[in-house]
Amino acid sequence: MKMELISVIALLLCLLAIGIEYILHYRLAELQDEHTTRVENIRQRLSIHVEGVLYAPTESSRDAEIDALAEEIGEDFEVYEMAMQAIREHKGSAIDADEQALENLVERINERIKPAETIYAPMLSSGDIYHQGYACRRMAELEATEYTDEIRELADSKSRDLAYNAAMALCHMGETDDVARYLMSIENDRLYSARIINEFFAQFTGSRQELAEKLFEECNPYMRCTIIKTLAGYKIEAFRPMYIEGAGGDDGQLKIACVKALAAFGRPEDEQLLQMAANDKNWVIRAAAIRGLSLLKTTTALNAVKNALSDKEWWVRQTAAQSFAHMDISPGDLEEILGGYDRFAADAMKAVLYKSYV
Amino acid sequence: MGFLNWIRDFIVVFNYFCMAFTLLLNVIYIIQLFVSLFRVHHNYNKTFSDDFHSYVDSDNLLPISLIIPAYNEQENIVQNVRSLMKINYPMYEVIVVNDGSTDKTGELVVNAFHMHKIETSIRYQIPTEDIEGVYFSKEYPNLLYVQKKNGGKSDALNAGINISRYPLFTCLDADSRIEKDALLRLSMEFIKDSRTVVAGGLVRIANGSKIVDGELKGFTMPQKLIERFQIVEYYRSFLMGRVFWSSTNSLLIVSGAFGLFRKQTVIDIGGYKRNTIGEDMEIVVRIHRYMRKNHKKYRVKFDEFSICWTQGPMSLKDIRSQRRRWQIGLMDTLLSHAGMTLNPRYGFVGLLSVPYNWIFELFGALVETIGYFLIPFTLLMGELNMFFFVIYFLLAVSLGVILSEGSLVIEQYTHRAAMTAKQSIAISVYAVLENFGYRQIITIFRMEGILKYRKLRKSWGKIKRKEFEQ
Repeated sequence: MKMELISVIALLLCLLAIGIEYILHYRLAELQDEHTTRVENIRQRLSIHVEGVLYAPTESSRDAEIDALAEEIGEDFEVYEMAMQAIREHKGSAIDADEQALENLVERINERIKPAETIYAPMLSSGDIYHQGYACRRMAELEATEYTDEIRELADSKSRDLAYNAAMALCHMGETDDVARYLMSIENDRLYSARIINEFFAQFTGSRQELAEKLFEECNPYMRCTIIKTLAGYKIEAFRPMYIEGAGGDDGQLKIACVKALAAFGRPEDEQLLQMAANDKNWVIRAAAIRGLSLLKTTTALNAVKNALSDKEWWVRQTAAQSFAHMDISPGDLEEILGGYDRFAADAMKAVLYKSYV
Repeated sequence: MGFLNWIRDFIVVFNYFCMAFTLLLNVIYIIQLFVSLFRVHHNYNKTFSDDFHSYVDSDNLLPISLIIPAYNEQENIVQNVRSLMKINYPMYEVIVVNDGSTDKTGELVVNAFHMHKIETSIRYQIPTEDIEGVYFSKEYPNLLYVQKKNGGKSDALNAGINISRYPLFTCLDADSRIEKDALLRLSMEFIKDSRTVVAGGLVRIANGSKIVDGELKGFTMPQKLIERFQIVEYYRSFLMGRVFWSSTNSLLIVSGAFGLFRKQTVIDIGGYKRNTIGEDMEIVVRIHRYMRKNHKKYRVKFDEFSICWTQGPMSLKDIRSQRRRWQIGLMDTLLSHAGMTLNPRYGFVGLLSVPYNWIFELFGALVETIGYFLIPFTLLMGELNMFFFVIYFLLAVSLGVILSEGSLVIEQYTHRAAMTAKQSIAISVYAVLENFGYRQIITIFRMEGILKYRKLRKSWGKIKRKEFEQ
């Protein structure tokens, strides 16, 4: 009897759970429908306002249209972003054909709406960590420097996501000290810091050299290598002596980073160093050096790249073949490689040539 | 008389075992449902501040090779390749590997994309059947077509890996479509955590959905019951099971229709296993095994926001073939890696995930099928209390409905459903109906898979699917 009672209670509980689930499901589905309808209505109204703004015949009527648009947006960030997207993606008016005029118009609308103040500032101070993170990034896009202090505070948050978003905002704002402080705070987390360094240097609007110098003062060797690799593409002249020293040194990781950075410059005065690196026992260094030598286009560089076509490592051969195809090669050189006894070199070369000229 | 009594006792005990087994399984599923609910809630909130679009021009974004193994796919292949050419990803290549098709698959691809045979160097890091030709087109420089001797799906994938250039690769079924941003979202798993070696996306049933250039444009309820049941089934399987197992880094299967892999890891373990039809599960289990054995840090992830659409079977015959193959794949993988079972060396995977698959996913079908025949028989014999039987049956059905309806709630919560409220509620009716016939038939098909393991374990398996609605 007891067992049967328990079974009946369990069954009733299950039915209750199903009922709750169905109500929840129905409510969520309804909410989604409401949201879809609301978005569709807003989109329609926005399109009228946007056209009003873009096609206004006089500046005073444009002001009136902007006022109407601002009223429609209110303090709703979703509506604001939809409106901005609609303006930027609109085609056909005289304004959207002129990039500068469009930017001026966006600025004028922002001056009227003040999105940083009315929309994102409340989100920054009272939203959950995800809304705060989002607000940080939008603030940076709007160049709302008056909120730097609030964002700076959030960059110290214990939540990794929020700290990242806040630091990224500071990065967009070009705040060297704050960005350096944030990067130093994650220096020992190798898995994380490598990608963050890459991203932050790409987005940084201040002086990259200054930021790197600040980091070099305090960072560990791993972070130093990561920064050098990241900076390779930016070709910062002031770091060349450091690259040259590193490329000739014994530290394997530093050597890889420095050879990559020097290779990006493609300077004739580095040829000897790159020639030595092209014979290094580490294939990553060899491949990086070959890439640098291919930019030089001298006879000795050409020979070094040609030799690398028969490197024992597949990646070095591929790099050499791809580089070689873009150098000033003579038909004789080409014939020699394609018809030569070195099958690796011929194969690598053929693959590149077919894809370039077929 | 003594023997008959023994038989009768055995049947009664077995009945109680079946009941306990079903209830235990459902309790485990409910735990999975709750964990998934919290995970999806957390991930959904996170997507708000996750500005993944800003990664489009980031140096951190890894280029991807999309490998499409094709065997007699003339109906879908060109359309699929065209849709892949429009995905939102800055650097990728598409490699169509024709595994010795006997239809016009190759001809269609070569003609449609104006391809020419080229000579190229292939780095045979994984042994495969001979590659007969590689085709390239200047008009579509990120497309390669590979013609090879028939060697099975795994062999085709291995050939694709050998020829691919990029550090990540994904295998895509020729009859599936990925959403425009799906690759970008999935590759974020590798950017955010460099330990990630595999990431799987969510596979949805496309029957009834209109998908144009990787974007969902609308949904109409599919005509056949079997298709409607599968919609519910896929939500349950992906939003509940996979989210749960990935949260413990012990996900054993990444769908063959859409999974992203770190190429070097796959090469290190020797590529896809040949002569198996459960290659998608086998490779993930082998990666777990290799990484744990070699004390390497790794992650196998699942992202419920990276979506791939696949056409579900439309006839009982096709679904039978599909489920048999899945069960054979499961059995083959578990047998090949039996040494991992309850082995603490493999951590959570060995202690929980593998035993769970043995007990509930493999033998579960066996127990359930025997139960379907034995319980009514016992009832007829008068050995089972009718009241108790009815309560048990209703409990089992209710628990099943809680799970299916729970996954529909999760789906609805993420606002990803393309259905209207009416359609969504209509679909939830099938969460109840599937318990009266469909579920039992599927279990019997799975059971059949176990019984025909030896006979069917090496076939490619072909299911008739309709074309994607344009």
